[in-house]
Amino acid sequence: MSGILCAIRGGPSSRPTIATSIQLAQETGETIYFLYVVNLDFLTHSSSSKTNHISQEIHDMGEFILLSAQEQASEGGAKAEGVIREGQVVEEIISYCEEQSPIYVILGQPEEEGEDNLLSLERLQTFADRINGACQAQVIFSSEKDIPHEKDQDEPNP
Amino acid sequence: MVKTKLAGTILVILALAFFLVSLENASAADVKTEIPYIFGKIQDSQLQPVKGVEVSLITENDSVFESRQSTLTQADGSYALKIPIPVPEKAELLFSRPHFQQKINSIPAADLKQLELGNSVSFPLVTLDREITPAFWIAVIIFVVVLILIATGFLHNTLAAFAGASALLAISYLGSPFLPDLYIFNFPQAITYIDWNVIFLIMGMMMVIAVIENTGIFHWLSYHAYRISGGKMIILLPVLMLITGISSAFLDNVTTMLLMTPITVQIALALNISPLVLLIPEVFASNVIGVSTLIGTPTNILIGSFGNITFNDFLTNLTPGVFLAFLGLVGYSWFTFRKELTEEKPGSPLLLEKLGERGKITNPENLKKAGWIGAGMMLLFVFGEQVHLLPSVTALIGASALLIWIRPDIEEMIGAVDWTTLVFFMSLFIVVGAIQEVGLISAIAEMIGDLIGQNLVLAMVVVTWFSAILSMVIANIPFTAAMLPVIAYLTLIVPGADSKVLFYCLSIGAAMGGNGSLIGASANMITAGIAERAGYRITYKYFLKKGLPALIITVTISLLWLLIRFT
Repeated sequence: MSGILCAIRGGPSSRPTIATSIQLAQETGETIYFLYVVNLDFLTHSSSSKTNHISQEIHDMGEFILLSAQEQASEGGAKAEGVIREGQVVEEIISYCEEQSPIYVILGQPEEEGEDNLLSLERLQTFADRINGACQAQVIFSSEKDIPHEKDQDEPNP
Repeated sequence: MVKTKLAGTILVILALAFFLVSLENASAADVKTEIPYIFGKIQDSQLQPVKGVEVSLITENDSVFESRQSTLTQADGSYALKIPIPVPEKAELLFSRPHFQQKINSIPAADLKQLELGNSVSFPLVTLDREITPAFWIAVIIFVVVLILIATGFLHNTLAAFAGASALLAISYLGSPFLPDLYIFNFPQAITYIDWNVIFLIMGMMMVIAVIENTGIFHWLSYHAYRISGGKMIILLPVLMLITGISSAFLDNVTTMLLMTPITVQIALALNISPLVLLIPEVFASNVIGVSTLIGTPTNILIGSFGNITFNDFLTNLTPGVFLAFLGLVGYSWFTFRKELTEEKPGSPLLLEKLGERGKITNPENLKKAGWIGAGMMLLFVFGEQVHLLPSVTALIGASALLIWIRPDIEEMIGAVDWTTLVFFMSLFIVVGAIQEVGLISAIAEMIGDLIGQNLVLAMVVVTWFSAILSMVIANIPFTAAMLPVIAYLTLIVPGADSKVLFYCLSIGAAMGGNGSLIGASANMITAGIAERAGYRITYKYFLKKGLPALIITVTISLLWLLIRFT
């Protein structure tokens, strides 16, 4: 067992998750594995013939998001790698845990009810239990209030 | 021996003479037995020709009326009814068609006399009135249900339209034997509503786009936009908007945004700004500039084919107005995002370097070939109208020439055609055809016609804003398809509208109206979907807040252009 798994999708909601993982890496000396999952569910209602091409484009975009996170980790003195997978986010995180057995898994915690996030508060604990079942990793929830941060801009991040 | 030869020669001569005389008699007989016809035309209350009206000759025989001869009207509403000899002393014409009130007109005695003499006669123009039957309500309900299913996303667009078309035909075939008033149309009638020019144009363009999108041209253009701007937002924003807009004028908006959104996100991340300040103006530009050409939006393809409006017509009548609207849009985008765009933030050298690595043409050979073919297609679109070349034929010529030249995997190319979209269009044409068949479109046309009266300016304003507002909440493709016959009617009755200006108003309203809400255009939904995958959520409220002013500005400018040009 080794490493810290940090699933991200970019944007403001990933900032606390990235910051928590960097902080943990600094404390433990473990490598962070940033995971980005390419999910094409939004294409369900259009352009089915372009799925392959768009999958590659979103894969490239995911690489950029991971590079950005790795850059932040590097600035924080932590070692980090990027991993890209394709499929359903929750299932891919579980699958990664089963394969790589990380020591820690960092999950983003929704700020308030109704906020769009990986999981709602109620389902988050169930998900953590599944991760425990898959690899006995310690699951850490992170949220905006846990870390010092700049105030998000209202306009570009509705 | 000589006698035998002489007899043979005489026999041959006699046979020839007999043959010639027979021929002459035959011609004479044709003249004598020439059958007289009654010619005429039938229209509806919107002055549109009615196809498929059964015109029957009714005669009275021992106080029993019987139909002695019948025919159907053609697409232009005309008919030619053969009159049997001897011509009856008293006869009437019966005009009948589902969804119209039956009409019986007597044939004047003078006409009957002419017919008796073997002369054909012309019957006065007949106008048929609509009849509201249960089939009317069924077709309307199915159309509304399809619109709701599409708008809510409860069913895939194609499945919703396909199920609607199937339901219409099922009711016509299975319901009408028990209750004749349930009859909407039969299968041959239903497929006449499919506009094959539209289907083949979209199919041909899809094949060309499939080649272009794999060349890396979008990455190259976007990276060079960044390089030219030197990271200065005041240059980068309009350049990216222009690239997106021009691409949308020749490719479909969804494809353009599918390709532009991931690259834009990467540029924004490298420059350490929110991708939304570039993505939202880009999707606005896509919806606005896409209107400038015949092939830029599916709605323009529908309008061009129905209204017989050429590629050049769009270029000369719409493009200048769209360009002005684009300038207004750039100004608005800068103003609305000025805070984020002017904020000084250091970019990421690592990500900028990666951006440079990706900003390359991946298949220069195919791009060169696609460029030549694309240029040829543009020439055919522009000059083809001189020889009545349909845009669909140009698209098919271009697609096949490109495929022959680059010899791709044909299975892959056929797979690149979005068949679900084509089936959506075919099914939608049938669903819209049904409400046209039962008379809903006529009723709407009459209502709008009464509202507008004879005022061209009022007609332009009403059509543009009505289309823009409705396109915010309902899918603009079915809306446009349903509006086309209405616009055709208004074009006939409003003085000065014969310039087809109302079709341009529909084009502007239907496409630019998409900017008013997130669900207003497929390109908006695709952009939001990809942006969310990058962690930047575009909510309905946020899009409405940014999009509604954009809609008002661009539609107003474009409408002003049309008013200046056409009134």
